Amino acid sequence: MFNIFELEKKFGDLEVLKSISMYIEDGEVVCIIGPSGSGKSTFLRCLNLLEVPTNGKMYYNGTILDADLDSKKLRQEVGMVFQKFNLFPMFTVLKNITYAPINIKKMKKEVAEELAMDLLRKVGLADKANVYPSTLSGGQQQRVAIARALAMQPKMLLFDEPTSALDPELVGDVLEVMKQLAKDGMTMVVVTHEMGFARDVADRVVFMDKGYVVEEGKPEKIFNQPENQRTKEFLARVL
Amino acid sequence: MNAFSQLQFAKAAEFLIPSLIQGFSVVIQATIFGFLLATILGMVIAIGRLSNIKIIRGFLYVFLELIRGTPLLVQLVYIYYVVPLLFNLIASLFGVKTDVQIASLTAGIFGLGINYGCYMSEVIRASILSVDKGQTEAALVLGFGKYQALFRIVIPQALRSIVPSLGNYLVMMVKDTSLLAYVAVSELLLRTQNFASQTFLTIESYTYLAIAYLVISIPLSHLIKYVEYKLNNK
Repeated sequence: MFNIFELEKKFGDLEVLKSISMYIEDGEVVCIIGPSGSGKSTFLRCLNLLEVPTNGKMYYNGTILDADLDSKKLRQEVGMVFQKFNLFPMFTVLKNITYAPINIKKMKKEVAEELAMDLLRKVGLADKANVYPSTLSGGQQQRVAIARALAMQPKMLLFDEPTSALDPELVGDVLEVMKQLAKDGMTMVVVTHEMGFARDVADRVVFMDKGYVVEEGKPEKIFNQPENQRTKEFLARVL
Repeated sequence: MNAFSQLQFAKAAEFLIPSLIQGFSVVIQATIFGFLLATILGMVIAIGRLSNIKIIRGFLYVFLELIRGTPLLVQLVYIYYVVPLLFNLIASLFGVKTDVQIASLTAGIFGLGINYGCYMSEVIRASILSVDKGQTEAALVLGFGKYQALFRIVIPQALRSIVPSLGNYLVMMVKDTSLLAYVAVSELLLRTQNFASQTFLTIESYTYLAIAYLVISIPLSHLIKYVEYKLNNK
């Protein structure tokens, strides 16, 4: 689905990504782990062109991604869930979910609302359709945000530390929804600090540090027999 | 005998108040159109100053400095007396003889609108910038374009926080319509000046004038507080 060659990203003089090459296959769940400041989030944001890479090549299903490309089209197929949810506070939960399908995909209102209700049932929040986001807990808001991303019927979802802003007791519900998505075959790239989730759900774990991919492989290999010294040190600290 | 008993409030009221009531409609016209112009201009300047295009930002910055660096009264006089003359002068350079004049109320509305538009643009700009960047990003990742995100998601949130300060500008503008007297708009001050100079009822006339402004501005500011309260408790 994605093929990435020697991707670089600089902010002024600060080199955040230094030559990242990676592929992501259809239906694959890739978890990116690593210390903060390692460039995980920046890499994720390059995938839907929220950040435009300074150098390197990215192919999405064979088409090359660059600044000239219509990023709107790409983003309709590659959805994203943020650490801070970013729900629209002036809309109800239902309108948050239906707003893009109606306005971007030109879906009929009734169809969009039916889809939204299906998605809300899926994330366990069907009873919250008509409330405003501010009345929801963090975990509930994040599940609405996942439903909102799914409403565009994307081919792939990017998760940028989706549980990092949540109280510990709310993390489980969100991870449960993500596990279900993975089971349903959604292609997912997840930047996370939840090592348990990465171990259980990921098809592949990527360890990033200082702008490089240091090590990648099956979760069993990365967590049980890491080869690189930096991976070992990081895992020793977080596990 | 009390010196105050010489005051002729009743007599002044009989002639001045009907005139002031006519003046009200001028004040209201000037305020409504001036404020409308100021809001539109403020919005355009605010968005222009957030644009990526350097020339637009630079031009607007210079314009703001010019307007904020000169008094409103000078701007009104300039628009009323100087702009038409300049226009005629430039037209004559091209061999066209014109005799453009500008109606005093029109000049007043433009003066108020441009001056207030510049100040209000800063408030609008700050409120747009204060909306969390995550809101724009959330709209972008759903497939909205940059300007769609701005107009559909960011500006509606910004405007909600802006109502109280724009309301204050509205009350200020009502009071500043008194400056239009200097460009011959027959609003409240000019009417009162004329009346006072004819009748020498100075104390009475200007007291009524002050009361007339209070009659507009106090209810208006309470109305704005009420709207603000309603918005906060929605």
